[in-house]
Amino acid sequence: MEKLVDIVLNINSQKHQLAVLPDSLLVDVLRDSLGLMGTKKGCGIGECGACTVLIDGKPVNSCLVLTLKARGKEITTIEGVGSKDQPDPVQKAFVEKGAIQCGYCTPGLVLTTKAFLAENPHPDTNEIKQAIKGHLCRCTGYVQVVEAITTAADSCSDKGENNE
Amino acid sequence: MSSHKIVGKSLPQIDSWAKVTGEAEFVTDIRLVDMLYGKIFRSDRANALIKKLDISRALKLPGVKSIATHADTPGIFWGPILKDWQILAGDRVRFIGEEIAVVAATSEEIAQEALGLIDIEYEDLPAVFDPEEALSPDAPLVNPHLTDTNVAYRFKMERGDVEGSFAQADYIYENTFRLNRVYQGYIEPNGCTGDVDTQGNGTIYAPSHYPYNQRRLYAEALDLPVSKLNFVKPYVGGSFGAKFERACHPISYVISKKAGKPVKITLSREEDFIASNSRVPMSIAVKIGVKNDGTLLVKQTRIVSNNGARTVSAIPVTSTSCYRVDNFYRFKSVKADGYIMYTNTAPSGSMRGFGNAQMTFALESSLDDIADHLGISPVEMRLKNVVHPGDKTIHGWKIGSCGINDCLEKVTSSANFTQEKAKIKQNSGKTKRGIGLACANHVSGNRGFFGPFDGAAAYVKVTEDGYAQVTHGEADLGQGQNTVFCQMAAEILTIPIERLKVPVSSTNTIPFGLGSFASRGTTICGNAVIAAAENARLKLLEAAAVAIEIPVDQLFLKDAHICSSRDETIKRPIAEVVTDYIYQHCGQNLIGEGFFKPDTEFDPVTKYGNISPAYIFAAHVAEVAVNTDSGEIEIINYHTAHDFGKIINPLTLAGQLHGGLAMGFGWVFSEEMLTKNGEFLNTNFLDYRMPGSCDIPDTTNQYVETHESKGPFGAKGASELMVNPVPAAISNAVFNAIGIRFQEIPITPEKVLAALGKL
Repeated sequence: MEKLVDIVLNINSQKHQLAVLPDSLLVDVLRDSLGLMGTKKGCGIGECGACTVLIDGKPVNSCLVLTLKARGKEITTIEGVGSKDQPDPVQKAFVEKGAIQCGYCTPGLVLTTKAFLAENPHPDTNEIKQAIKGHLCRCTGYVQVVEAITTAADSCSDKGENNE
Repeated sequence: MSSHKIVGKSLPQIDSWAKVTGEAEFVTDIRLVDMLYGKIFRSDRANALIKKLDISRALKLPGVKSIATHADTPGIFWGPILKDWQILAGDRVRFIGEEIAVVAATSEEIAQEALGLIDIEYEDLPAVFDPEEALSPDAPLVNPHLTDTNVAYRFKMERGDVEGSFAQADYIYENTFRLNRVYQGYIEPNGCTGDVDTQGNGTIYAPSHYPYNQRRLYAEALDLPVSKLNFVKPYVGGSFGAKFERACHPISYVISKKAGKPVKITLSREEDFIASNSRVPMSIAVKIGVKNDGTLLVKQTRIVSNNGARTVSAIPVTSTSCYRVDNFYRFKSVKADGYIMYTNTAPSGSMRGFGNAQMTFALESSLDDIADHLGISPVEMRLKNVVHPGDKTIHGWKIGSCGINDCLEKVTSSANFTQEKAKIKQNSGKTKRGIGLACANHVSGNRGFFGPFDGAAAYVKVTEDGYAQVTHGEADLGQGQNTVFCQMAAEILTIPIERLKVPVSSTNTIPFGLGSFASRGTTICGNAVIAAAENARLKLLEAAAVAIEIPVDQLFLKDAHICSSRDETIKRPIAEVVTDYIYQHCGQNLIGEGFFKPDTEFDPVTKYGNISPAYIFAAHVAEVAVNTDSGEIEIINYHTAHDFGKIINPLTLAGQLHGGLAMGFGWVFSEEMLTKNGEFLNTNFLDYRMPGSCDIPDTTNQYVETHESKGPFGAKGASELMVNPVPAAISNAVFNAIGIRFQEIPITPEKVLAALGKL
C-alpha cells in the first residue's frame, strides 16, 4: 500500500486537514474525500472541462492536478461561488439566460467564466467563445452560455461603476 | 397565449439554481454508507468462446470485496426488444466490450487494478463486422445459440401500386447513402448504484428515459418480482437517446447482492463510448419516381443497418427510417425493405432524431438532386409535395396542425433563397459559395412503441403551504420537461411557478409511465399534467365550498386564492383550503390525478395508423463557403423555421433548438465513431470531435406557431426535430457550391479535397 501524506488544503477559504495518497487527483479528493460533489467528472483526462476549479484564481481541470500540487494554494470550487440567496452575477446570468440544461457542465463553466471576467471585464463575443472553448456542452450549443457571459460581464461592470 | 400568465413565458428551468450551484445530485454524485466501487471486466474479443475464467488472483487483491460472474446471475436471456442480452456473459462473448465479470472494491482504483488480475482464456471464432457481409449465407453467425440467421429483424412494407407508379414516372432517381456511427456525447458518463438488502430488495439508482420499463426489464433479467426493485432516477446529465436500459444497471444489483454492500459503478469515458448504444449506422438505397413537374410518385428504399451483437433499439430506429418520411411528402406508393443485422460490434440504439434523422439525410439529398435534374427550384419541389393540414397520409397518419408551408416561406425569405441561388451561378475564385435547403417532419409520441396502451398519467399534489408537486412517469434528462409540466400545472392552479417542484423519480411513487422518447413528453404527458391539475383544482373548489358554505359553481381560482363570483370580499388562500381538504378527508392528501389517452392507433402487422397525436415540421437553409484549396466548409449563415405548435417556454425551447442544431453541425462536419474489426478507435473527446464554443455558426431562427388542438395549450413536441434536416441542408449547400453530391457524412475537408481530385 502506498503511504498516505498529511496535507492541508485551502478550499473556498476554509482549511481542510486530510491524508491523501501521493498520486491522488484533486477531483477525486474534492469529491470522494471532502464530499464537494459540485465538481463534476466528465472524462477524467482533461478533455471536457466539467471538473474545472480555480487554483489561485486560474481555471484548471482538477482531473489533471495532483492533490499535492494544490498545497498552499487557494482552491475555489462551485460550492464557494454563490447561492440562490446570495447569487454570484455569473450564476444569476446563467440561470436567467437559460444557459443551463442538464447542468452537468455548468459548475465548470461558471468557474471558468468567473476567472475570465476577472481578467477581462469587457470581453467581446469572440473572446468569450475562446475563453470557454475548453468546455464541452452537449445540451446548449453554447449560444445562451455566451449570452449569459455577456450579461454577467455587463452586470459586473455596472456594479463596478456603481461602486466608484 | 396572452391570456396565460405562466404558459408561454420565458422562464429558466425550475431546477436551474440546484444545477448552477452544483447541488443537483447526479448518479455519479450518490454516496451511500459503506458503499463499494464496481468495475466491469469486458471482452477484448469480437467473437469467442470463454474456455476459462479464473477470478482467484483478483479476489486476493487487498481491498477487493467481491467479484460476480455469470454464475451469480439467473442466466436468463433478456432484452428490451429481443431476448439476446445476458447480464454477464456465459460461455461466449460477441463483441469487444461485452460484460463478463464485475469487481467490487473499496476504491475505484483497486477495482480497476483487480480487472488486470482476472485470468481468462478464449477460443476465438470467425467474426463479422459489416452488416452487408452479415447477410451472406457464408457469414459467421453472431448469435448461433439463439438464432440461425444474422437478420435480427426484417422490416417489409409496401403500399399502393409501386410498379405502376414507376411505370408512370418521367424520371427515376437512384442513389445510396451511408450513415455513420455517432456518439450521443452527454457530458455525464453512464453509471449506476445498486443497493440490495439481504432479502433481495434492491434499489437501482441510474439515469433513465423510462424508469418503469427499466424496472420491468431488470426484474425480468434478475428473475425478481417487480416489487423487489425500486428504480430511482436522479438528475440526468444529458442523454439524447442513450440512457435507456444498460447492462451495468442489473450488474450493480448482482454485485451489491453478492457483496452485501451498495456498489457504485461509473463508466470511464472510454467504456462509455463503447457502451453508449450509438446512433444506428445504416446504408440507405433509394429509388424515387417523379413526374417532370416535380410531383413525387413513388419511393422505394432498401436499408441495411448495423444492430451490433445484441439488440437495443436498432429495430424501431430502422423501421422509422423505412417509413416516417413517407408521411411528409404525398407519395402515391411506397415500398421499404429493412434489414437489421447482427454483427460482432457493440450494439447501436437511439439518438435524437431516431432513424428519421438518417433517412432525412438520404431523402432530402435525393430531392435536391431530383430538383436539379428537372430544373425546378428546391423550394417548389417541396411545396408541391408536402402534406397539408387535414391530410391522411399513405400510412394512415392524420395531419392536424401543419405549418410547413409557412416554415418554407419564412426560411427562404430570411435567407433570400432565390436571389442567393441565382448569384451563386457566377461562382468564381477558390472559395465557392453555396446555398441549400432541407425539410423534415417528426412526431410527438409514437403509438407503435408500446402495445397495450398509449398515453401518460400524472399526479399534482397541493400541499398545505400552497405549494405543489408534479409527479409523472416520463423523464427529464436535462431538456426541461419538468419545467414545462410545472408551468402547465401552475397556470391552472394560479400558483407562482416558484412554488412548483418535481420530486426525484422513483418507481415506488411515480405513476406507471412509458417514459421520454419520440418527443412525446410535452404533448402526451403535458395533457396528463393538465388533467391532474384540473382534478386538483376541482378538489380545491369542493373543499372551499364546504368550508365557506358557498356553492362550488360560484367559486374559481385566481392568484393562488379561491374566489367567489358573487362576492369579491371572499378570497381564501389555497394553502388554507388544502388544510380544509385534509381535515375534511381525515388526513388524505390533496392529490389531483389525471391521465391522457391520445386517439392514436397502430397495427403492428400492417404498420398502418395514426401513431401520434400531433406532428412537427421544419425547414432549414444553409449558406456555405467551400474553400477548394483547403476543403474546409464555412457556414456563412444558417436559417431555420420550425412548427412546434404553441410555445410553452421560449427560453428553454431556444436552448433545445440551439443544442439540437449544434448536434447536427457536429454530425455533418466531424463526428464519427471509427471502428476496426469491432474495436472502437477514437474513444475520447480529442479524437471524437464534438463542436466546441468556437465551432458554432450564426443561426437565424424563426417559429411558425400553429395551434395544435390535440396538444396541451396548443403545443407539440420539440426535442429532436431540429437535428434531422441539418446534414442534408449543409450537404445540399455544398452540392450547390461545388457540384459534388456527398453520399455520406461527415463531410470532412479530406473528403472535399478527394472529391475535387486534389488528394
